[in-house]
Amino acid sequence: MLAVAVQQAINGVVFGSLYVLVALGLTLIYGVLVQINFAHADIVTIGAFAAYFFTYTLGGNYVASIGVALLIGAALGWLINASIFAPLRERGSELLPLIATIGVSVLLQNAMLLWFGPIPYSFDSPYSNQVIRLPGGTFITLQNLIIIAVSTVTIALLYGFMRFTFMGKALRAVAQDRETAGLMGINPNALIMLTFVIASALAGMGGAMLGPILVLTPFAGTSVIVKAFAIVIIGGFGNVAGTIIAGLLVGLIESYTTQFINPGLTDIVVFTLLLAVLALRPTGLIAEKREENV
Amino acid sequence: MRKTSLCIAVAAIFGLSVATSCAYAQDKLIKIGGLFPMSGPGSYFGVQDKQGIELALAEMNKTGVNGYKFEIQYEDSACGPLPATQAGKRLLDQYKPQIVLGEECSDATLAIMPLMDEAKVPFLNAGSSSIKVTDPGNPWTFRIMPNEVMQGVDIATNAYKRLNARSAVLLYENTNAGIGNAKVFGDTFKSLGGQVLADIGFGRDVNDFTAIATRIAGLGKVDVIPTYTLEGQGLRITQALAQAGVTKGGGGGAIQLGTIWLPFGFEQKAGKAALGYVRIVQFDPTDKRELVQNFIRSFKAKYNQEPTHLNAHAYDQILLIADVVRRGGKDPQSIRDTLAATKDFHGVTGSVEFDKHNQNIRMDTIHYMETLPDLSWQALAWN
Repeated sequence: MLAVAVQQAINGVVFGSLYVLVALGLTLIYGVLVQINFAHADIVTIGAFAAYFFTYTLGGNYVASIGVALLIGAALGWLINASIFAPLRERGSELLPLIATIGVSVLLQNAMLLWFGPIPYSFDSPYSNQVIRLPGGTFITLQNLIIIAVSTVTIALLYGFMRFTFMGKALRAVAQDRETAGLMGINPNALIMLTFVIASALAGMGGAMLGPILVLTPFAGTSVIVKAFAIVIIGGFGNVAGTIIAGLLVGLIESYTTQFINPGLTDIVVFTLLLAVLALRPTGLIAEKREENV
Repeated sequence: MRKTSLCIAVAAIFGLSVATSCAYAQDKLIKIGGLFPMSGPGSYFGVQDKQGIELALAEMNKTGVNGYKFEIQYEDSACGPLPATQAGKRLLDQYKPQIVLGEECSDATLAIMPLMDEAKVPFLNAGSSSIKVTDPGNPWTFRIMPNEVMQGVDIATNAYKRLNARSAVLLYENTNAGIGNAKVFGDTFKSLGGQVLADIGFGRDVNDFTAIATRIAGLGKVDVIPTYTLEGQGLRITQALAQAGVTKGGGGGAIQLGTIWLPFGFEQKAGKAALGYVRIVQFDPTDKRELVQNFIRSFKAKYNQEPTHLNAHAYDQILLIADVVRRGGKDPQSIRDTLAATKDFHGVTGSVEFDKHNQNIRMDTIHYMETLPDLSWQALAWN
């Protein structure tokens, strides 16, 4: 039983790491703009398809495809913000960009449906079947090891960037008070753009690593994004550290619910936790003042 | 000069439209509604159903049947009760079909059935397995595929008697069809003396099946794992079970079992993990009947690919409608009555004879296949 418990912990950490990557993008955008980005799920899907086509059509290496998906996600984030969200924000409405994210989501889903078709793609990483046997009868695939390693490095780099670099500090200043940051010589629009680029890059990268796990269709990201929203709320909207903890927690809860209760009840358990957090600690697991969120 | 060209163009368009109207006027028309999932996780059903239907329609419309030609309008019922209800209402209100085909997913089919019953339009189903579709069913709904009881009893009996399986884990999506199929298998298997070690249902939004595979690996020796899911989740389950060393594809001893849910090509997508998978398919491409071989040739010629069982049962739906029209069906009531009287229709998936609940009682639509190491199929002569 101990081996099974350890194995489920490994499974939970792997999927939790992916949740964290996706949820971090959402929390970054919320932290800076106080805006929910509904199109985030579709950038995850595009990241998965980018990795798929890089690997299968162009014959590229799977690990390199994670980098390609990151770049495509970043480029898409820049393009969508520059062409749609930024012009709408300039009109001074908070609601318009929010509604636009729903429109962009529908547009991207239907464009993918047109290009890629509705039939599920079989995206197998060459590392999925390389099983590393661990002591005590447990195992981890090389693919899952890559997921944990890439996620850990990415999260550490992001955390370091936000805490210790000038740009990161400027980003936090914009999150704290956009107007005052502007008076201090910081260009808020440039930093909002940077936020979209980083968030979308994380989504694209998450998609590349989710691709071999997800049922890869144009709607693939939607199934993950609901959990990502829950993670962002449980961790504390806009709080990076809270999102990391909540992501791993949700991954572990799903694994142990599957093992000891019933896999059909994983959503009930996760969303009960969400409701409990909202009722008992509305600011999330790690409560910070709004102006210090990012 | 420009004015003359314009006059010729207008005359040509006018003439063409008059000619087209004349052509439609000569042939009477059977309007068919198609309710299939075109979006979402079940959309592979819709794409393949449409291929089979279009091929059959092209063949039937070459000469027509009893002076009738056939026309279809599709609506996206998305494999779910709510979109299916909306699509069904739209189809009935705007297109006014004489017969409706669909859906694949049982939950969607069950939602459409009352609409067709109320509108008194026959509803022909080829892909939903839930027993509720025909038991109690309603007078306007017909099903040509074997239901969950017919499939479940048969596969559980074969698992026990032919595979000597004594322990099973039930894996299924939490839908009417998933729950129903798993229950029939479990009840039959236990009544024969087998043991169900775990009963595991999951939602369609589950992505990661490693946790489920880990749980099954922790159960000890499992002989068979009947699995009821759509293709996407089915792929991930098969791969996760192999990675955890549970199934033959991963060096374990368990055999995955399936019914009419997965399309052809599943094995190629799942890879070596699918080794030893035994499942029921609705169409046997090795069937030597001329009708079957002609269908395969025509399908390859039109689409440059091998037909799947979904293509085949959709093709059969049109063939059956044509047969009904040949026997005198021309409006919803006469089509329903003639359908109900069907006794010996032969399609590419097998034959059709409806019982009093409008369920096809012929078992020759059940074909067993096993996945070989080169990922090809071996037909199992179990029926």
